[in-house]
Amino acid sequence: MRTVSVDGGIADHPLSPPTGPLAARTRGLRKTYGPTVAVDHVDLDVPEGAVLGMLGPNGSGKTTTIRMLLGLVRPTAGEATLLGHAMPDEAGHALPDVGALVEGPGFHPFLSGRDNLLRLAAAEPRLGGGDIPGAVDDALERVGLTAAARRRYRGYSLGMKQRLGLAAALLVPRRMVVLDEPTNGLDPAGTREIRSIIAELHASGVTVLVSSHLLAEVEATCTHVAVLHAGTVVAQGELAELLETGNPGLVVSTPDTTAAMEALRGGRIPSRLVPEGVRADLTAATAPEVVACLVRAGVPVHEARRARTGLEDLFARLTQGETNGEDRPERDGLSDVVETDGEDT
Amino acid sequence: MTTQVLAGTGSRAPHAPTVRLLRAELHWIFHRPRTLVVLGLLAVLPVIVGVALTLADSPGPPGDGPGGEGGGSLLASAAGNALVLPVGTLAMTLALLLPLAAAMAGADALAGESAHGTLRGWLLAPVSRGKLLLVKAFGVATVAATAAFTMALTGMLTGLVINGGGTLFTLSGTTLSFPAAIGKVAVAAAWVSLQLWAVGAVALAISAWTEHPMLVVASVLAGIVLFSVLGLLDALSWLHPVLLNDSWQIALADVLRDPMPLDTLGEGALRAACYLAIGLSVAYARLTTKDG
Amino acid sequence: MNPKRKAVSIAAAGTALGVAGLAAIAVPAGAGEAPELPPVSAESLVESVLRADAPALSGTVEVDNDLGLPAVPGVPALDLESARVYSDGEGRSRLALEDGASEHTIVLDGNTLWNYDSATNTVTRSPVDRAHGERPLGPEGERMADPTRLAAEFLRTVRESSTVTVDGTARVADRAVYELVLTPKPAERTLLREVRVAVDSESRLPLRLSVHTNGTTEPALRIGFSDIDFGAQPAELFRFTPPEGATVEQEQQPQREDHMRDEVAGDVVGEGWDAVFVGQLPAGLLDRQAPGERGENVRGLLGQVGTPVSGEFGSGHAITTKVGTALVTDDGRVAFGAVPQQVLTEALGTR
Repeated sequence: MRTVSVDGGIADHPLSPPTGPLAARTRGLRKTYGPTVAVDHVDLDVPEGAVLGMLGPNGSGKTTTIRMLLGLVRPTAGEATLLGHAMPDEAGHALPDVGALVEGPGFHPFLSGRDNLLRLAAAEPRLGGGDIPGAVDDALERVGLTAAARRRYRGYSLGMKQRLGLAAALLVPRRMVVLDEPTNGLDPAGTREIRSIIAELHASGVTVLVSSHLLAEVEATCTHVAVLHAGTVVAQGELAELLETGNPGLVVSTPDTTAAMEALRGGRIPSRLVPEGVRADLTAATAPEVVACLVRAGVPVHEARRARTGLEDLFARLTQGETNGEDRPERDGLSDVVETDGEDT
Repeated sequence: MTTQVLAGTGSRAPHAPTVRLLRAELHWIFHRPRTLVVLGLLAVLPVIVGVALTLADSPGPPGDGPGGEGGGSLLASAAGNALVLPVGTLAMTLALLLPLAAAMAGADALAGESAHGTLRGWLLAPVSRGKLLLVKAFGVATVAATAAFTMALTGMLTGLVINGGGTLFTLSGTTLSFPAAIGKVAVAAAWVSLQLWAVGAVALAISAWTEHPMLVVASVLAGIVLFSVLGLLDALSWLHPVLLNDSWQIALADVLRDPMPLDTLGEGALRAACYLAIGLSVAYARLTTKDG
Repeated sequence: MNPKRKAVSIAAAGTALGVAGLAAIAVPAGAGEAPELPPVSAESLVESVLRADAPALSGTVEVDNDLGLPAVPGVPALDLESARVYSDGEGRSRLALEDGASEHTIVLDGNTLWNYDSATNTVTRSPVDRAHGERPLGPEGERMADPTRLAAEFLRTVRESSTVTVDGTARVADRAVYELVLTPKPAERTLLREVRVAVDSESRLPLRLSVHTNGTTEPALRIGFSDIDFGAQPAELFRFTPPEGATVEQEQQPQREDHMRDEVAGDVVGEGWDAVFVGQLPAGLLDRQAPGERGENVRGLLGQVGTPVSGEFGSGHAITTKVGTALVTDDGRVAFGAVPQQVLTEALGTR
């Protein structure tokens, strides 16, 4: 069963709403700054226990959505629910169980990393007074900052700063962790560490909401994904299924691509050249029909396999959908996905 | 629609003990190098003034008659008098330096924290915005009172070392016992603290509107200069009673009179309380409605 | 209620409170309603004032003057604004004059008058001869043997030139007072319109004196209590010990006022409101160094602040203020009174 929904399609197209409890949910979320609409009609579902990657180019509204979800920003319209509590008015109930790293790490330069964490830990409702030093040291160790704990934050590298921010989110065992661009400024090793921490959190049942403008990061760490574009959610669902979504196609390996293209055009099957051969669109024909068409025309077929669209393709199509590709004339990426979504399976 | 939503955890929101927050705030304030430098300079100032007055060794003449008011001419009486030095230096620095120290504390409290992105950390813990303002106001108040009382202490000690314990006498010529003198200086420092709290509250209000701490300090500085100029214009005498610094230069001399006339001090205290209420209210309104 | 709206209304209430407080400071307390007091005749009011003993009190005396004095270059204006007054009701008193950030403290401890100036840390002590009655703040009552007779005599004299009335009630220093008003009779040639004395309805102590001139609504001079408390005062207020390091000067009798009397000799010409003092300045005074920093003599100073006049009496300079006129002739005669200049020239001419 698919759990893909697109562009507010849940209400209009009751395709397959997520099952199970939600750790966070927004409905019709809208935020305007003066005449500028930052976020509009955001319906986001974060299933409990999921690692949801919020994917979108810079300026697509990821951070604004996260800030509204965390109660830092009051929505202009719509509602946000975090761990069952309406935000921002019930932030006091929800936030103690939520760790967050938003808009980069924010710490005092003249305090040591440890003192900075002690200051934040003092405000943690879930920490008893006596548990604070232990919690701080644990969090520092978890992000690998124990050695630098007593150095001033001013002298930290970008990666260390990012890790200290992560440590702040992990001060207390959380039910949910929200990480806004956590790998910003990290080297590959640091990125791997973040991924392993996310994996640990996932393994222990913590819901993770992680935003990124890097597709690879989301592909590598997430179970679910929501794609934002120009302030709205254009697609969301389980990662594995979203990977298969998109324009289904059949990639055919053949030495004679010209003949293959001609044959498919004759069979009224949209197609294009790809490095491996020819890619036939499966919206108008089924795979056996494509192969049959080629065989009838005498085109040698070495191999035919279902094209794995890839989130990258999806992401690229969704976010750059304004420019028409040759395989989806007079339709933008959005409606394209809606249709394939309905036809598939 | 079968979407379930996780149930909440209870009716009363958990929160960190306020005392813990206040302690964390003080730790932060008194580990900030800039704060320590400013407090240190203010503490040394009475020593410098005391030594300078002794070296100059001119117990008079008075200022240019009436009108030559203020800490300057109050200090004319400070040579040879251990009681006047602490109060005189408080009066002198209340004109500009002490308010700037309070403004700086207010600027760091909200605007500075916003600029570093550190205010978010506490908001997400979460600390409610009302409590955040409470903690911040407490921190600013502590800085202001520390500045005033430190200056009073070093001024008193300097005066005693230079002039001796028998020179604790008032402008009315009454020689005071040591505890009574301590009491008078404490009243002066407390009154100065209240005035600085008013400045700090206004600074907090501005601080809640901006992310630029220097803008807060500059605004307060501009306000003080503006108020001082308005206070000099006789045509605006109807306005003078609402200017916060209206009585700053004359009220402290009243502490040194015996018996102590309370009307100017009391009016100044009431005025400061009004500014305090307005400043904190505006800061609260802004802090609770602004995006974090 | 929406938490946001709730927060804003709390903040609005706090701001309103602060603004109201500031407004309360800025708006003067106002005279308030005239109190209801039993009617009293001018006679019995004057009598009760003369009969009253000055009680133990503390208070602040404020002086508002709009005399229209000419500004003398280099000499600070006379601007005593307020003084704190303490009296134990038994002849001891204390007066504190604020002078910027310094203070003049004058303590009369019964036998000695102490005058302390904090700006110079100087004490002047003057013995007080009680027999001569040199008592700046002492009660007036003791000298009055029979207040009733005295009051009648006083009123008879005053009524020759004035109308004396009780003009209702008022509040002064938050106390209910009767307003005693002395108005010159139409025949009197004076600059003054009326003199008002506010008398405390209980203690019968005069609490405020105001002098009104023709053509202005605000008094030219008002001296009175802005606050007053009756009751025993701490005894230490009426003792004085020079502080350590102070310069102590001993002043001998006679007092300064006697010097003046010796030097300016003269008579009062006329009666009532248009009485004029006519006299002779001490020889050489006009050529003495004038007070101030310019280094001029008195004659030069007169030329600056006075207007030249001449007439039958000769020539000289007149100094005009709202409440009176003074005329100094070039040959050293002087005349002054609460009168227009013409009365002075006439008075000088009669001699």
